[in-house]
Amino acid sequence: MTIQSTARRPVLTGTRGRKTARRIALFVVMVVAAIVMLYPFYYMLNNAFRTAAQFDQQIGHSVSSWGRLFQDLPVAREFLNSTLICVVAIVIILAVSTTAGFAFAKLRFGGSGVIFLMVVAAMMVPLQSIIIPEYVNLARLGLVNTYAGAILVYAALGTPFATFLMATHYRGISDDLIEAAIIDGLGYGRTFLRIALPLSIPAMATVAVLQFIQIWDDLLVGLLFLQNPQQRPITVGLAALAAGRSTSIPALLGGSFLSAVPAIVVYLIFQRYLVKGLTLGMGK
Amino acid sequence: MTATVTDRSARAPSHRSRRRAGPLARRRRRAGILLSIPAIVVVLSLLFIPIGQAVYYSMTTWDGITSTWIGPQAYVSVLHDPTFWRVLENNALLLLAVPFALGIPLILATLLNEHVRGWRVFRSVYFLPTAISWVVIGVVAVQFFAYNGLLNHLLALIGLGSLRTDMLAGERTALLALGITFIFSMIGTNTIIFLTGMATLDPALLEAARVDGLNGRQVFLHVTLPLLRRFVQFAFVITVISAFSALFSLIFVMTNGGPGYGTTTLEFFVYQSAFSLGQFGTAALYGIILFVIMAVVGLVQLSVIRPEDGSSW
Repeated sequence: MTIQSTARRPVLTGTRGRKTARRIALFVVMVVAAIVMLYPFYYMLNNAFRTAAQFDQQIGHSVSSWGRLFQDLPVAREFLNSTLICVVAIVIILAVSTTAGFAFAKLRFGGSGVIFLMVVAAMMVPLQSIIIPEYVNLARLGLVNTYAGAILVYAALGTPFATFLMATHYRGISDDLIEAAIIDGLGYGRTFLRIALPLSIPAMATVAVLQFIQIWDDLLVGLLFLQNPQQRPITVGLAALAAGRSTSIPALLGGSFLSAVPAIVVYLIFQRYLVKGLTLGMGK
Repeated sequence: MTATVTDRSARAPSHRSRRRAGPLARRRRRAGILLSIPAIVVVLSLLFIPIGQAVYYSMTTWDGITSTWIGPQAYVSVLHDPTFWRVLENNALLLLAVPFALGIPLILATLLNEHVRGWRVFRSVYFLPTAISWVVIGVVAVQFFAYNGLLNHLLALIGLGSLRTDMLAGERTALLALGITFIFSMIGTNTIIFLTGMATLDPALLEAARVDGLNGRQVFLHVTLPLLRRFVQFAFVITVISAFSALFSLIFVMTNGGPGYGTTTLEFFVYQSAFSLGQFGTAALYGIILFVIMAVVGLVQLSVIRPEDGSSW
């Protein structure tokens, strides 16, 4: 639509008035798009403050559904579960991806190129393709319905991309800097810890933010590996609530909104890193 | 024999330099191996070995208790299963959403790139749904497409009240609703990818094209779009991969695969076969087919992008 109006604009002869009109048209289209994108948030919040009857009529507001939500769903507990799983999985991902990224970028050894490609290629493995063996293996180890099981699966799923990202980042650090540290007698381990790691904090932030949103928002892993209501993350709780027959829709919407808040806060604070991480997948 | 000799002579200089470095090179090698071991162990034990196991399971009739080996024949018999084709058909139909999931963000990115007052706020707003779980988007979508939902109200408002249906109750309409929700869910990610791409364009080049007499649309089609090729490809691959392997949450919340097999995609079929029907062998087989499709998408992506981009590796 707007591209066409752009096209019709005679660029060099355009008068100031037409330019203003075009800007206003642009602005209106952008506002409409913004309303569409914000609609889910408005809808959740607006209807969470209704009783079931008010929801059916779409008239009036009340806070009673929030009480219902906290009765039906152990929100605090599930938030804690989600947080725990996210934090531990991210720590593991950061630990293995920074070390491996540094090794692949700066300490190339025989076969390291091939191994790096293999690790990166694992990005293409969809969880659904391995979910059954994964479930069987973790069940044999007694890790189904433990935090450790879900955390391991998330860590494995996040590692390939994180390693790729960290290796890309470390390639940008000068070899001379690393060599100077080695010649100064730091040793490779301490060079990594004291020189390379501090330089890669922005890249680590990118990995952490991407993974936080991915893990916090995920359903499938929690659904299979954390079936116990005591341990399940908030998304699994919500999905169970959504599947229930007698569920109060306003309560469900309230819970959905609450579950989105941490991810939104992280997004708003670290937007820059998220954007960087998304486009870094292209190698540039 | 000759090959080995030439090989060795070709490598000779690097050998010499390695020997000159002596113990330092050996320490470097050891450090490299030590530091990469944790990642290798994680990826090997939790991603690669399970793929191998899945291939094995896929050739059995394992139901969780008993298992009989049927071999590659399993792949042949699944081709005779009409449900399997129905599921693949759903996947294929969902791919029709991809052009929209790319086109709408392309328009939004173009608008944002005009940098009108407050464009940064709009950028944040368009990207915001990317932060929330597709479980949450699914919960809202169910209400949006419901018989008493906003969609039907909007249709009535513009005089199309006769179209009013419960979209999630019909097989084809439910798939359409799923596709629309999928498009909505991809808008943020793809808009950001395109916007990042547009930021890399040289404004002088676009200005030159304008001065040369191209109008806005021509500049977009013949200058901007070709320069964005890499970004469009990247967004395309991300979107296709998502269409095949990221819809689980939406389907689980919106339709649970129904009505009938109306919205069951391959990834959901894996889950359903294994954890609702207890057919672990067949489920593993569907998972392997999904993996092969993803691998093909990935290889096509690499072969398309590599020639230009070889240097960055």
